[in-house]
Amino acid sequence: MSRMELYSPEGLRIDGRRWNELRRFESRINTHPNSCDGSSYVEQGNTKVICMVQGPMEPSSRSQADSAGATIEVNLSVASFSTFERKKRSKSEKRMVEMKATLERTFQQSVMCHLYPRTLISIDIHVLAQDGGLLASMANAVTLALIDAGVAMYDYVSCISVGLHDQTPLLDLNGLEEQDISTLTIGVIGKTEKLALLMLEDKMPLDHLESTLGIAIAATHRIRDLMDDEVRKHGNLRSSKLAKN
Amino acid sequence: MSRSVDVSTNERAYFIEGLKAGIRLNGRRFDEIRYPHNIHLSKEEYGYVELEWGKNKISVRVSSYIRKPFEDRPFEGIFNINCEINSMASAKFENGKNSDEEVLISRIIEKSIRRSNSLDLESLCIIAGEKVWNITVDLNFLNYDGNFIDIGCFGVMLALQHFKKPDISIINGGEDIIVHDINEREPQPLSILHVPVCLTYCFYNITNQQEVNIKGESTSDDIYLLDCDYKEDLLKSGSIIITLNKNREIIQLSKNGGIPIDASLLVDLALGSIKVVDELTDLMKKLIKDHEQQRFDELNLKLLQVGADR
Repeated sequence: MSRMELYSPEGLRIDGRRWNELRRFESRINTHPNSCDGSSYVEQGNTKVICMVQGPMEPSSRSQADSAGATIEVNLSVASFSTFERKKRSKSEKRMVEMKATLERTFQQSVMCHLYPRTLISIDIHVLAQDGGLLASMANAVTLALIDAGVAMYDYVSCISVGLHDQTPLLDLNGLEEQDISTLTIGVIGKTEKLALLMLEDKMPLDHLESTLGIAIAATHRIRDLMDDEVRKHGNLRSSKLAKN
Repeated sequence: MSRSVDVSTNERAYFIEGLKAGIRLNGRRFDEIRYPHNIHLSKEEYGYVELEWGKNKISVRVSSYIRKPFEDRPFEGIFNINCEINSMASAKFENGKNSDEEVLISRIIEKSIRRSNSLDLESLCIIAGEKVWNITVDLNFLNYDGNFIDIGCFGVMLALQHFKKPDISIINGGEDIIVHDINEREPQPLSILHVPVCLTYCFYNITNQQEVNIKGESTSDDIYLLDCDYKEDLLKSGSIIITLNKNREIIQLSKNGGIPIDASLLVDLALGSIKVVDELTDLMKKLIKDHEQQRFDELNLKLLQVGADR
């Protein structure tokens, strides 16, 4: 695969983007108004994720009731048709457990858990299609679904993946790029530079870390705006309906 | 459910006050690690290492055998890391049940060493598509005192450098192989491309105002401790694991929850870690070299050397 030209001398990537361009980001909130408290659908390029949030509710087992704050539980299911090659994935796969734990721990901090003691917030994530940046899309979907459910959060958690090709950072990698170059996924709270989520799986020269992080943070702020637009659009729609009645 | 003991509020307050005054309860500096000690490199067996790091104790065994390679990768040997954490180490780990924490520990060690290609898999190939070496590392944690990831990674890398596989000759024009007994021919060390070193930073928010921390601009309130012990680990409000090697490459970065970290601080931590990484890599190198020398002297291998020292 490495024979493929990921970044042409003219500065174009395999899907025709420049180094600092995001893929198409589309999101919807309140997609499943009857089946759960909050839901969202996120598309980042060809990666498609549905997220549903139940709660805060009474936990089914006593062990999940924490008197200090809400417990956040993430269930991850990746559809067997989500990749080109059909493959059944088990939930106990280490990669899945790791992503699940990462999401749980990230949102445990970003949600104002202390406002909901002795409750459980259950988050179901369904991955319909994956084409790179899976963890980022999932985190974005969870943020939107939590907002839709009306769970108090400090701010949006917006996520993006960024890779490094030779010396050039490439923003928002697709599946092909992700196979070949190292990927850094970051999640930022609101419009700050605080990293709530951080995952780098392959080698990256230390001296390029700063520039890579810089572009990634700028991208998360952009993603935050895009998500915010969607939330506001939905909010306006709802309030106009209320005004009519 | 984990059966770890919760720390009392008094103890927590005492600890935080200490941090505010710039003092850790164990007397170390904030960026000081506990150096490994009591390192035992087996003389009888290649690739068996026992070491202690603070009160942590691990044993690592590397073993090898010959097998058929995977069909999609005929030129590559096979390398696995088996991470065994049971309740012997600490009551917080349960036998036979993989908690999230255990999975994260083994996953990060695996990512640091296996995925980063620190072991050259192609050098493990004997006959393409037919015979390759399978290298298995068994990592057993014997006692827990915080920070399993750093010590595990150090132990595995030390054991891999200590390990030697039997020499092999290919006969009948690539049809058959002879595996030479280790007493017959000097066994071959593995080819290691780079040595990853994991460092875990735990962080503490001493103001106890989460909202300020998440939304605020000032970062002076956060304290970062390198290589936490058992108690510090219980009190942490988050941690970040940085894996680096001597070539100034970041192998792996992961932050699993905990209070958010400022991007510039992350860069500072990574740059600051280089010194510790160099120290640990050199320590490993020295240990292996001393061990080799000792073995060389004891077995009087000089007798076997042909050629004049010029």
